Amino acid sequence: MNALRTLTTYRELLHNLVVRDLKSRYKGSVLGFLWTILTPLFMAAIYIFFLQLIAGRGVTIRHADIIIGVFAWTFTVQAVTSGMNCITANANLVNKVFFPRIILPVATVLSALITFLLMVVVQLVLVAFLLYREGGTMSPWVMGLPVLIAYHLLFNMAVVFFVSASNVYFRDTQHIVNLLLSAWFFMSPVMYTLALVDTMAGERAWITNLYQLNPLAVIITGYRALHMSDTAFPLSGMAWAGWLWPIALLMAGYVVYQRAQKYFSDWL
Amino acid sequence: MSMAIEARHLGKAYRVQGMAPPTLFGTVTRLIRGQPLEQFWALRNVDFSIPKGRTVGVIGPNGSGKSSLLGLIAGTITPTEGGVRTDGRISSLLELGAGFHPDLTGRENIYLNAAILGIAHEDVTRRFDHIVDFAGLREFIDMPVKHYSSGMYVRLGFSVAIEMNPDILLIDEVLAVGDMAFQMKCLDRIRLFQKQGKTLLIVSHALETVEQFCDEVILIHEGEKIMEGKPEEVIFSYLKEYMVRIGMLNVEEHGTREAEMTDVVLRDEYENECTQFETGGAMIVDIHYHARRRIDKPVFGFNIKTGNGFYVYGSNTQIENVPMDHIEGQGVMRLRIAPLTLQSGNFFLSLSIHSWDHSVQYHRREDWHPFAVRDPHGAQGVFQLRHAWALQEKA
Repeated sequence: MNALRTLTTYRELLHNLVVRDLKSRYKGSVLGFLWTILTPLFMAAIYIFFLQLIAGRGVTIRHADIIIGVFAWTFTVQAVTSGMNCITANANLVNKVFFPRIILPVATVLSALITFLLMVVVQLVLVAFLLYREGGTMSPWVMGLPVLIAYHLLFNMAVVFFVSASNVYFRDTQHIVNLLLSAWFFMSPVMYTLALVDTMAGERAWITNLYQLNPLAVIITGYRALHMSDTAFPLSGMAWAGWLWPIALLMAGYVVYQRAQKYFSDWL
Repeated sequence: MSMAIEARHLGKAYRVQGMAPPTLFGTVTRLIRGQPLEQFWALRNVDFSIPKGRTVGVIGPNGSGKSSLLGLIAGTITPTEGGVRTDGRISSLLELGAGFHPDLTGRENIYLNAAILGIAHEDVTRRFDHIVDFAGLREFIDMPVKHYSSGMYVRLGFSVAIEMNPDILLIDEVLAVGDMAFQMKCLDRIRLFQKQGKTLLIVSHALETVEQFCDEVILIHEGEKIMEGKPEEVIFSYLKEYMVRIGMLNVEEHGTREAEMTDVVLRDEYENECTQFETGGAMIVDIHYHARRRIDKPVFGFNIKTGNGFYVYGSNTQIENVPMDHIEGQGVMRLRIAPLTLQSGNFFLSLSIHSWDHSVQYHRREDWHPFAVRDPHGAQGVFQLRHAWALQEKA
């Protein structure tokens, strides 16, 4: 509650920091903001191409699944990698001006959200087109997208609270996080689907259960379920745990961040 | 009277390893070995209170803890011991251009910086032209600030910062930015803040400026408050005790010592020893010398510099054709400066005894003797000029 009040009081600063982030990111590049869309689009195209090449017979890769997976993954990666440096990159500001330190990670995550929202628009058009070509239609549940995006945002926020504060005290954080991110990529259903994991697990249901403890596993599958009726919304087995523990993570992240921020200027 | 700033038992310790960011490895090995953290107190046991509407200066040598003090008051630094209580909205002029983004234009940065400083968007829009004109950057305002010169950068920062409307204003050495014209504008702005009854805390090495603006001065050294009081008294004792001791001044003494100054006494016109003089009064300098051998045609010289090192005046007995055949043994040379035409400020007297052809320096004391001058009338400047006013009839 306290945090929300702070954020409304300082909304102008928050707004300006988000704008600065977005404006400065593509300053000087010819295509400018288009890169926001182009980068994940190319990533999706590359994955689709190579997956088709190696997967071959038996396994079918649905383009829409990959696009949704890559876009959702991009949101988290962008928030975490820029959030990790949000304090250290603004050392000058943190050392010299007093403002609630919580503004910085929130601004970073919000600017990642804005890029993601643009990507979601492109995603809706692409998925609708792909489904139409196959003779299907979009699930009506797609209306629930804002709720899932809000949840995804809070999850990213939780992670950023930890990594941004930790990076002030331990600069090793950035290297460790980069390593963990590449492991996380393969542990999340970006290039494949939860259904594939389930199939591979077969009788050993605990594998799927364990897999679903990864919040990104349920989030990405959730996005797919909201677009396409043939994908089930992940609520079975341990999926609920995957949905719930990020809430605790967010609260813990907030507490840790607020404790850590007191001494930021000592370490910058 | 209610207090704007109250510091109680204030202290801030840094870990010595904190100079470099810690690594995970370093922390783990330290914990395993159980090594205690080495601490360095940047500030300790500092107590003071500043009533509302006062202007207080903080002086002290580099590394004495001045900036830490401002950081603690501003809230950017969390104290290790004690605390600071402040009453009112605080803004600081210590962040000129902090938060500027090099790729954004001057215009975009004005809005960004204003938001950081807590200035409302509408206020900036309303005052935009004024901000730009104050900075004198009209033709460059749509250029990315990375192409600005450092002076332009700071000027833009200052122009935005003074748009704040705080109750307490913290100023860190920013009065020394920009060219002369810009500095004058800044000082005017500071005076306006004073007239509006705001509380000001000024950290500066420009002692003249501190003396001119402040009601009270706090001297800190090695993290401790040494003295607090009237500007002229604190500054004078700072110059006398500290600047000399820590070698901030180019104080030196050299020479062959064939003729030596054994004692130098400054006196007022009533022959009382003193170090503070009045403009228009007399200043007497008694130089007790000891010539170890007969020295023919010696030259006694003196010069006066301001606390900032500005050379005010210098002369010697040779230039002035003072008849002096020789000196031998002990004696006293009296230098009488009357009327003393220096204005209020702190000065340093240098003295020397050298040979007629300047080839041998017998004894020279550079910036050795500090003294202060007070002008009871309040004219400005370094030096008093003889002048007269007269209203002329129209021709």
